[in-house]
Amino acid sequence: MTPQHSQLSFDRDSKDLLSSKGILVGAAALMAYGITRRSKTSLALATAGGLMALNASRSHNPSHAHTRATFLVNASPEQAYQLWRDFSNLARFMRHVKSVEVLDETHSEWVVLGPMDREIRWYAEIIEDVKNERISWRSRPDSLVQTSGSVEFRPHRAGRGTYVSATVRYTPGGKLSKTIATMLGKHPQFMVREDLRRFKALLEAGETPTTLGQSHGPRGVHGSVEQVLFRETGNLAAPQAAQAYSKTA
Amino acid sequence: MKAVCWMGKENMQVHNVPDPTILNPRDAIVRITSTCICGSDLHLYDGYVPTMEQGDIMGHEFMGEVVEVGPGVSRDKLKVGDRVVVPFTIACGNCPSCQDKLWSCCDNSNPNAWIAEKMMGYSPSGLFGYTHMLGGYAGGQAQYARVPFADIGPIKIPDGIPDEKVVFLSDIFPTGYMGAENCNIRPGDTVAVWGCGPVGQFAIRSCFMLGAGRVIAIDRVPERLEMARAAGAETLNFDEVDVLEALREMTGNQGPDACMDVVGMEASGHGIVFAMDKAKQMMRASMDRPIVVRQAIIACKKGGTVSVPGVYASFIDNVPMGAYVNKGLTMKTGQTHMMRYMQPLLERIQNGDIDPSFVISHVLPIDQAPEAYKTFRDKRDRCTKVVLKPWESAMAA
Repeated sequence: MTPQHSQLSFDRDSKDLLSSKGILVGAAALMAYGITRRSKTSLALATAGGLMALNASRSHNPSHAHTRATFLVNASPEQAYQLWRDFSNLARFMRHVKSVEVLDETHSEWVVLGPMDREIRWYAEIIEDVKNERISWRSRPDSLVQTSGSVEFRPHRAGRGTYVSATVRYTPGGKLSKTIATMLGKHPQFMVREDLRRFKALLEAGETPTTLGQSHGPRGVHGSVEQVLFRETGNLAAPQAAQAYSKTA
Repeated sequence: MKAVCWMGKENMQVHNVPDPTILNPRDAIVRITSTCICGSDLHLYDGYVPTMEQGDIMGHEFMGEVVEVGPGVSRDKLKVGDRVVVPFTIACGNCPSCQDKLWSCCDNSNPNAWIAEKMMGYSPSGLFGYTHMLGGYAGGQAQYARVPFADIGPIKIPDGIPDEKVVFLSDIFPTGYMGAENCNIRPGDTVAVWGCGPVGQFAIRSCFMLGAGRVIAIDRVPERLEMARAAGAETLNFDEVDVLEALREMTGNQGPDACMDVVGMEASGHGIVFAMDKAKQMMRASMDRPIVVRQAIIACKKGGTVSVPGVYASFIDNVPMGAYVNKGLTMKTGQTHMMRYMQPLLERIQNGDIDPSFVISHVLPIDQAPEAYKTFRDKRDRCTKVVLKPWESAMAA
């Protein structure tokens, strides 16, 4: 089992599209569109475009990211730990992760969808595993992507569930670190928080909420663009049935 | 299937769209037999609520027959063939909010929670046929609908009760009831209710059910005031009288024990402040015209309660905070926690305490929905409530 190098090359255009220059162009287009459309969303769109432009002009691509998010979930630390510890579950709530194949007790192979739906692969190993309390993992030193993560489970003092805190780090050095940084966007915190939100839903409700693939009327040009924002369409895997672990299910 | 689609401001269209399918394990598909246009749909029709998108299927008040259930729905909860009313709020049943019976604040039912969090801090539940900020779920003004978490929301209706008596369990009857419950009514209390639309009518009747001695109903549409009087309310027409002065007189300079805003963001009124609100809203500098909630705060008795079942979308200004604080008022709000009320209110209907069908003015085939929106919005043709029949073709209604 060796990493597939062939699918990792990027052409210059797709890189530039995702650079801050590209974002500036996109933001300007959004502003223009928002201003000309004269509808109820026009103001919001134009404002969003303006903010994006401001952001893009101010910041540069992060070469590394270190983010953390915490959610209180209505489940015991044991239940939360169990769902997370089986890494094959990760793809069910981590948005960019297409699959995680468990190779043995501590090793796994990750496939992540990067920009333009390109597959990026790496191998990870679990470096710390304290039952019902903490799991830490990192990519193997010879991986093309240098990443590590950990998750902690702490019971609420009054028994109202478990605080689940996830930390994810992407560090420079790997050949693909810039691609990863692009994928994480300007706000990597957002991705971690959304993943954790989906973990909570999976744990409590047994599924993550979705409108992906639902019926709708003709969307038009503007609507088709916003479908992505509103997650009615996208590259996510179809939701899967899961056992709800919560106290009442 | 046929579905009523939002295609832009004041532009509803009936389109043929694909039938819904099961997307999640706890989904069900309902074949809709009756569906209604709600006053809150008019806020979308008028284009005042952000994150609507062209092609969105409208509707959050519907009932019908279950035709398919997902593998995650246990058969003792719901099965094919069950006749159900579907609540407009979507709730998972297992999150901390649902466990506290704050069903309309479910943590897990809004796939676009992050958008709502930007505006509200934390996201309320997903809703059918409303904005994408609140989930963007396809609604029920259609022939079929997909119902997420179908083992929690829908309530089974025995055969023998016509749709018209129970369909309002989907929203407006529980919403009016919760608005009244939020008034903290003690026996004999006086409650002032702004807005005599369909929710207001149920709110007025619920106040009496909960022991109110007097209900003073405020509106300007003659047939709606008439309907309020039929329920036993005293009425004020705000085009004809100064509401604050009239309430002062009627309550002996005390003020109503509770004041209920069943109007929300598109209130009408008089004077310079109303003109400013209207201008701000037209310029999209504000989404809301909060005339009623201001008036309710000023009108309310010291130590009283202001209950707000009316819909607001964003920020409001010129709120008389000084009056609110110095009079020691309480404000109670919220989208309706549907699952608290559906069963008890179904029992009230079965007991004959109330027949909710009194509020219906129009029963129309779904093809006539676009005109029905306009009629309802303009309050023409004595329109108080429209029920749509998705399977009847256009004919003399």
